[in-house]
Amino acid sequence: MSIEVNHLTHTYNPGLAYETTAVDDVSFTVARGEFVCIVGHTGSGKSTLVQHLNGLLKPTSGTVVVDGVDVTGKDTAVIEVRKKIGMVFQYPEYQLFEETVYKDVAFGPTNLGLSEAEIDERVREAMALVDLDYDTFAQRSPFELSGGQKRRAAIAGVLAMRPSVLILDEPTAGLDPRSHDDVLDLVCGIRAQTGCTILLVSHNMEDVAGLADRVFVMNEGRLVRDGTPLEVFADGDYLRGIGLALPQARAFAERLAESGVSIDAKRILTREALVDAIAGVAGDTGGAGITGMGGDPS
Amino acid sequence: MIRDITIGQYYPGYSQIHKLDTRLKILLTFGYMVSVFLAKDFLAYLVIFLSLCLVVATAEVPFRFILRGLRPVFLIIAFTFVLNLFMTQGTDLVRIGALHITREGVYTACYMALRIIFLIIGCSLLTFTTKPVKLTDGIEALLKPFVRFGLPAHELAMMMTIALRFIPTLLEETDKIMKAQQARGADFETGSIFRRAKAMVPIFIPLIVGAFRMASDLAMAMEARCYRGGEGRTKMHVFRFGRKDAQALALFCIYLAVILVERIFDLQTFMLEMLRTFGMI
Repeated sequence: MSIEVNHLTHTYNPGLAYETTAVDDVSFTVARGEFVCIVGHTGSGKSTLVQHLNGLLKPTSGTVVVDGVDVTGKDTAVIEVRKKIGMVFQYPEYQLFEETVYKDVAFGPTNLGLSEAEIDERVREAMALVDLDYDTFAQRSPFELSGGQKRRAAIAGVLAMRPSVLILDEPTAGLDPRSHDDVLDLVCGIRAQTGCTILLVSHNMEDVAGLADRVFVMNEGRLVRDGTPLEVFADGDYLRGIGLALPQARAFAERLAESGVSIDAKRILTREALVDAIAGVAGDTGGAGITGMGGDPS
Repeated sequence: MIRDITIGQYYPGYSQIHKLDTRLKILLTFGYMVSVFLAKDFLAYLVIFLSLCLVVATAEVPFRFILRGLRPVFLIIAFTFVLNLFMTQGTDLVRIGALHITREGVYTACYMALRIIFLIIGCSLLTFTTKPVKLTDGIEALLKPFVRFGLPAHELAMMMTIALRFIPTLLEETDKIMKAQQARGADFETGSIFRRAKAMVPIFIPLIVGAFRMASDLAMAMEARCYRGGEGRTKMHVFRFGRKDAQALALFCIYLAVILVERIFDLQTFMLEMLRTFGMI
C-alpha cells in the first residue's frame, strides 16, 4: 500500500475575496508500513492535505495515487479507496451517533455491505484493538462514556473498516495526559498488530520524536521538510522560525551542551535518550559533570 | 458542497455599500422588497434589474458569489415557474395532452420567477455587505421604539446574533461530520429519496448533540462575563447617519419614484403603444 502524492494543490474559494491556497504543490511518497508524522503550525494545511488521501477533498491540481489507483480521478470508485484508507478526524467522538457502541462501530462495515457474521467479527476485533471490553461496552450508549472511552469507540469505528492505511488527525487533542498516552499506545499497538501504514497529524513534538519513522513539516501549505526525526529536528532555528518547537528533551540537551556539559545534543530526541546521555556523562566524570542537577531527570 | 450555501453569509469588503448605516440598509432593503411587489410589468423589472446591477457593482461582491446564493432556492424558483407555466388560463401556445402552455402562462411564469430572484438577491445583498453583529445591532436600533409596548428588542436581537453566528459554525460542523461518516463508507449521494433521508441520520444526530453542547458552553461563557440582558448596556458600534447615507437615501427615493410612476401611469403599455405607432415593432 503505497501513497504517491504529486504536485498536490488545493485552493479554497477560488476567485473570491477569501481565496486561500491551503496546500501548495506538495509531493511525496509513503511506503507500506511507514509511520509518518505530519507537523506544522495551525493553518499550515495539514488537515487539508490528509483529506485528499482518501478522496474526501478533490485537489485543485495534482494527483494522489494509492496503490496504483488515482484517487483524484473522476471515475475512481471512492468507496474502494475509503476501504483501504481509514481516517480519524479531530475530535472523532463528535461523530458518534448510534444507540450503542456496537452499532456505531458496525456503521462502517455495514456500509461496506458485509454479512452479519463478518460485521460482528470486525466489531469485536476493532473494540479489542482500542482496548474497549466488548462485554462491558458493546451495548452501552456511546454518549454516556468518558471522553477517552468515546474517542476510543470512535477510533474503533474506523478500524472496523480494516484499513491498510490509518490517518489520524490530532488524535490526542483535548485529552488528559493519561488518555493521551493511552491513545498513542493504541496507535502503536494497532500498527504492531495490523502492520498498517500510519499518518499522524500532531502538534506534539514529543510524540513525533518518539513515534515517527519519518516527519513531514508543513508551512503555509508547502511541504518544507521531509526526513527522519533526527534530520528534521537538526534545524531547530528553522523550526522555531515557522512556529514549531523542538522536543523538550532535545531543547534541554542543547541547553546542557551550551552550558558546557559534553553531550551530543544532535542525537537526542526522546526523554530516554536524554537520560542515557546524562547518565553517560555522569558515569565518565563520576557525577561531577552534572552536580547540582539532582533528582530523576524524567 | 455544503460550503456553497451563501445565503446569510457576509462577504468581506470596504465598499460604499458596506459602509452605509446599517439601519438605513435594513430599511432600504424593506423598501426594495415593497418596490419589487409594486412592479407589475417588465419595464419596471428592467429598472429593478439595472438598479440591482448598480448596487452589486458598488458593493464589489462577485456576481458568481451572488448566483451561488440562488442555488439552494433553485428548486423553489423552478417549481414556481413550472406551476405558473401550466396553470395559467389564456390563449394556448402549445398543447401536450392535458397540459397546455398559454401565452399568459409564459408571461406569469417568467414574472413570478424573476420576482423571487430579485427578492433573494436584494435580501442577500444586505447580509453580504453587513456583518451579522452590525445587522442585529441595526435591527435592535430599529425596534427600540417598540420597547415601550413590551417588545423585547434586545433579546430578539441577541437571539438573532447567536443564530446568525452559529450558521457558519454549524455548516462547518456538518461538513466535518459528513466527511467523517463518508470516510466510514457512508453514501449520501445515491439511492432512493428514502434511502438518502435515512443516510442523513448519522449527520443529524451528532449535529444536534453538538448544537446542544455549543449552546451550553455559550450560555456559560455569557454568564461568566456577567451578561444580564439589554438594560443599561452600551454599544461598541454607535450608528451615525452621514452624508453618504443621505445620498443613498435620496438615490433610493428616486428609484422608488420611478417604480411608482411606472406603475401608476402604466408606462410599459404607453411605450409599447408609442413604438407601435412609429412602426418600430
